[in-house]
Amino acid sequence: MDDRSGPEESGADLDEPRLTRRGRGVAVTAQGWSWTHAERERPAVQGLDLQIIPGEKVLLAGPSGAGKSTLLHALAAVLHDDEAEVHGQLLLDGVAPDHARGRAGLMQQDPESQVVLSRIGDDVAFAAENLSVPREQIWTRVSAALTDVGLEGFSLDHPSAQLSGGQKQRLALAGILAMRPGLLLLDEPTANLDPEGLWQVRDAVLAAAEATGATVIVVEHRLEVWAEHMDTLLVLETGGGIRRRSPATDVFTDAGLRAELGGMGLWVPGRDPLQELPPWRPGSPGSPGDDATAGAEGGSDAAPQAEPLLLAEGLAVGRHSPKAGWRRAAPAPPTLTDLHLMIRRGQTLGITGANGAGKSTLLLTLAGLLPAHAGGVSATAALTGGGGGGERLSRDPHEWRSADLVARIGMVFQEPEHQFVRSTVREELALGAEQARIPGSADPLFSEQQVEARVSRLLDRLGLAELAEANPFTLSGGEKRRLSVGTVLSAGPEVLMLDEPTFGQDARTFAELISLLREHLDSGGTVLAVTHDAGFLRALDAQELQIQAAERPAPDTADESQAPGGPLFGAARSPSWLGRRNALAKLIAVFLITAALVMTIDAVSSGVVILASFALLPLAGIRPAGFLRRIWPFAAGAVVAAWGTAIAAEESGRVVADLGFTTISEGSIALGLALGARAFAIVLPSVIVFSTTDPTDLADSLAQQLRLPARFVLGALAAMRLLGLLAEHWTTIGHARRARGVGAHGGFAARMRSTASQAFGLLVQAIRMATRLAVTMESRGFGAGPRSWARPSRFSPADLPVILGGAAIGALAVSAAILSGAWNLVWT
Amino acid sequence: MSSRERAVSAGRGTTEHSPARSWRWSVSDIVVASVLAVASGVIFWGWNLSYHLIGNLFVFYPPVETLVHGMWLFPAVLGALVIRKPGAAIYCEMVAAAVSALLGSQWGLTVLSSGFMQGLGAELIFLAVAYRRFSLEFAMLAGAASGLTGGITYHWIVPMYAYAPAETIIHIASFALSGAIIAGLLPWFATRGLAAASVLGPLASRRAHREPRLSLGRSRG
Repeated sequence: MDDRSGPEESGADLDEPRLTRRGRGVAVTAQGWSWTHAERERPAVQGLDLQIIPGEKVLLAGPSGAGKSTLLHALAAVLHDDEAEVHGQLLLDGVAPDHARGRAGLMQQDPESQVVLSRIGDDVAFAAENLSVPREQIWTRVSAALTDVGLEGFSLDHPSAQLSGGQKQRLALAGILAMRPGLLLLDEPTANLDPEGLWQVRDAVLAAAEATGATVIVVEHRLEVWAEHMDTLLVLETGGGIRRRSPATDVFTDAGLRAELGGMGLWVPGRDPLQELPPWRPGSPGSPGDDATAGAEGGSDAAPQAEPLLLAEGLAVGRHSPKAGWRRAAPAPPTLTDLHLMIRRGQTLGITGANGAGKSTLLLTLAGLLPAHAGGVSATAALTGGGGGGERLSRDPHEWRSADLVARIGMVFQEPEHQFVRSTVREELALGAEQARIPGSADPLFSEQQVEARVSRLLDRLGLAELAEANPFTLSGGEKRRLSVGTVLSAGPEVLMLDEPTFGQDARTFAELISLLREHLDSGGTVLAVTHDAGFLRALDAQELQIQAAERPAPDTADESQAPGGPLFGAARSPSWLGRRNALAKLIAVFLITAALVMTIDAVSSGVVILASFALLPLAGIRPAGFLRRIWPFAAGAVVAAWGTAIAAEESGRVVADLGFTTISEGSIALGLALGARAFAIVLPSVIVFSTTDPTDLADSLAQQLRLPARFVLGALAAMRLLGLLAEHWTTIGHARRARGVGAHGGFAARMRSTASQAFGLLVQAIRMATRLAVTMESRGFGAGPRSWARPSRFSPADLPVILGGAAIGALAVSAAILSGAWNLVWT
Repeated sequence: MSSRERAVSAGRGTTEHSPARSWRWSVSDIVVASVLAVASGVIFWGWNLSYHLIGNLFVFYPPVETLVHGMWLFPAVLGALVIRKPGAAIYCEMVAAAVSALLGSQWGLTVLSSGFMQGLGAELIFLAVAYRRFSLEFAMLAGAASGLTGGITYHWIVPMYAYAPAETIIHIASFALSGAIIAGLLPWFATRGLAAASVLGPLASRRAHREPRLSLGRSRG
C-alpha cells in the first residue's frame, strides 16, 4: 500500500524550537521601477523608488489603480507578461524576485482561491514540496505552521473545503509559513471575511511576523485593522511614485493625512464615510417611519399604518428542495425552520446571524428564487398590484414568471458578476426595464421611451455614463457594485433584497451604496439585506433580525457524498481493502480488463467481467444495492447501443424485420447484443476502482510512479478541488438570471440560448478562479523546478494481488471467449 | 473586410509573429487549462447521463446520432483557442475525458483513447498553422478534424460500432459536422466573449476579441 505514515507519525514528534526558525526579514528595494501591462498605454507603476528594511511592517495604501496589487505580485514573482514593459529594478535582498522564490509569500483576498489541495496537511505541505524540502522535514514544517496559525486542533486529513473563510486564510498563511519566507505580502487578506475571521487572520499574521522576523507589506481598505500594529504607512501615487511615507500611527493623528486617505475611498479609523452625504432621516415621505417593526417571530407588534408586502408563515428554507430530490435517497433537511415574518412597505430589515445559518437561503426564498422547503411565502395584493394586472399573479413569488418578479422584488447578489448577462453597461441597465411585463400578459410594462429614460437616468445617477458602452466585466469593483444595484432598480421593484452588499467594498463604494438605498427608501421602497456589517445597519437605521440555524446533526458526510462527483472529490479515503491499495496498481488492473474487452466483441468475455465485478464488491466495501443504483443508467445505455447496432449493422443471416431504410437481421441482433454486453462490462471495473480511489493519491501515483509531468498532474488535481465551487456558481448564476428576468423558460431554442449564456457566465467565473489559483500556486513556489513529494507513492507487496487480479480477470474473459467459440477479434 | 479591419489585421501581423511569445506553458496556462478541462469533464458526465435519453432520439437511424457528438469535442478546441500553446487541445480533451471516467462513464477507461484521438485531430490543425491562427475557420476546421479522428477511433482503433460501410461514412461525416459547429463555432464565440470580458489577462488569447474573424484574405490586407 501507499506509505501514508508521513503525516501521522512524523507530524507530532518534532517541534523545532522557535528560535532556530527565526530567519531574517527581507530587504525590499525599488529603483526607478516601472511596469506597463501589454494592453495598457499608461504604466501600472512608474518610477518607483523604495527602501524597506528587513522586518519592517508596511501598510501600503493608495487610490485604486495606483498599482498596489501590481507591486505585490511583482514582489511575489507572479507577474508575467511576455509583452509587458519593465524598467528599473525591483529587488529582494539584492536579487530579482524570480531568483528569490520561496522568500516571499503572497496571500490574496478570496479565501477560496487560496486553498490548493483538499486536505489541510497536504495543502500546507504543497509549498514545501515545491521548494524541494526533503520529505522528512516537510511534515515537521507542516505541523509547526499549522500551530503558528492556530489550526493545530484539526487533523492533517481535515477537508479544507469545510473550513470557514477566516480559517482558509489562516491555512493559506500556514502554507506560506511552510516556505520559511522572509517577506509576507498580503493583498486585502481580510476584505472577504466576517468580523470574527478578520481579527483571527490579522492576529495570526502579526504573530507569524513576530515569530519569524519577516518583513510585512499589507494592502487593505480598512486601515483600522492594521494601522496600530504597522511601522510605516506608504501611500502610492496614481501614475507613479510614492506620495507619502510616514509612521503608520499618523493615520490616527494627522488630520490632513486622514482626509487624504478618506478621499481615496479608504476606511480611515474613526472617520465616517457617510459624512459627505446629505443628512438623512429614516421614515421620510412615503414610508411609515421610525416605529415600523420587523414583525419577526409573529409580527403582532407591527405598526398599523404600514402595509404588509410579504408574509412568511411556518417557513422552512433549504438549498435543496425536497421536491427536487430525484437523485437523493432522502431529502436534505432544511437549514432554517418555523419562521414567521412580515415585511412591511418602507421597512429596512437586516438579516444577521452566524455563517452557514441559512441567511442567504432565506433571502433567496423570500425573493422567489428558491422554493420554500415547507410552509410558504406569500405576497400581498399591495405587492402584486404594482404595474396593473397583479390580481392575475399567484401569491407565491416562486411561481411568478421572472418578468413579473423583476418589477416587484429585486435581488442584488453578493458577487455582482453573477448578475451580468449583457455585453455593455447600457444594455445591462436596460434589461430589467425591458423584461418587465404586465402580469398575465406578454405586454411590456415600460414603453421604449420609458426604458430609454430610465436607463439614462440610472447611468447619470450611478456615475456610469462615461462607461455606458463598456463591458460590465471590465469595470472596477466599486463600479460593478453600483451597476449591480442599478440593473435591479431598472425594473422599478418595490422590494430590494441584497446579499452582503458591502462585503469587501471600500468606503467610497459603501457611501454610494448607502446613498442609493436611502433614495430607494425615501421613494417608498423596502430594503431587505443579509449582512455582517453593523455600519450598514446603522446607516439605514435598519431593524435587525438575528437568525439561528435549525438544530440538526453536524454537517453530515452523507449529504456530501451525494453531490455530483460523489465521494470521489471529498477528502475521505475509502477504508476498504481496495481503497487502501496503490492507485496506479488499480489503474493497471482496470486497464488490463478493459484491454481484454476491447479486443473482442462477444457476450462471453463481457459476461465473465460482469460476474467478476459483482464478486469483487466486498473488497471495495460497496453494497450491491448501492452499486445497482449507480450502474443502472449504464445498463440502459447498453440496451440503446445494442439496438443501434441491430439496425445499422450489415445484414447477415435471416432478416427479422425490414424497416424500409434498413433491415434487422439475426446476425445484426447477435452483434448488437454482444456490443451492448461489452458496453456494460467495460463500465463496471472502472466504477468500482474509481469510487475507491482518492484523486490526491491518484495524482501522486501518476506523477511519481508513472512520471507524468508533475506541473500538469498537480494543475489538474488543484482544478478538481474547484468543482464544488463551480457547481455553487452555476446554481447562483441560475438564480441571478431568474432575478434579472432572463430565467430559463420559453421554447426549446430560448432554453438553449439561456443555458448557453448561463454556461458563459460560469466560464467567466471558472477562469477568474483559475487565474487566482494559479497566482496562489506560483507564489508557493509551484512550477519553478524540481520538487519533493510529501506523500511517497510506491508499490507494496499488497498491491501485487490487485494487478494480478486484473490480469487474471482479463485472461479468464479472453480464454472463456476463445473456448466457447465466441471470440471475435475486432481488428479484422 | 472593411478598411478598418484590414488596418487592424495588418497592424496585428507584426506582434502576432513576434518570436517573443514562449511556447512553454506558464502556471496560469496550466491551471486555466486544467480548470476548463475538469469543468468540461463534469459537463461530459452530465451529458453522458442525458445521452442515455438523447441517444434514443436517433433510434430511427442510429448512424446520425453523431450529429450531437460534438458535445464531446468542445474542450479540445476551447483549450487550444484560450491557451494557444502546443498540446492544449490534447491535454484539455484527455483531462476532460479522464474526469468523466472518474465520475463514472458508460465507456469506462476507453474514453482515454477516444479523448486522446479527438484532441489529436484538433491539435493537428493548430500545429499545421504553427499555433498562429485562431480565427473562426481554423476553429471550425479543428472541430471537424476532432470529429474525424473521433470517428476513426469509434470504428477502427477501439471499435464501438459495427456498421455497414455506407452507415460508417454517414456516422463519421455527421461527427465532423457536429464537431465544426458545437466544438468549433461555439468555443470560438466563447473565447471572444471571454477576451471581451477581459478575464484572459495572463493568457495569450487576451486580445481574441479584437482579432479579425477570419484569417483568409488577410494577405490581401
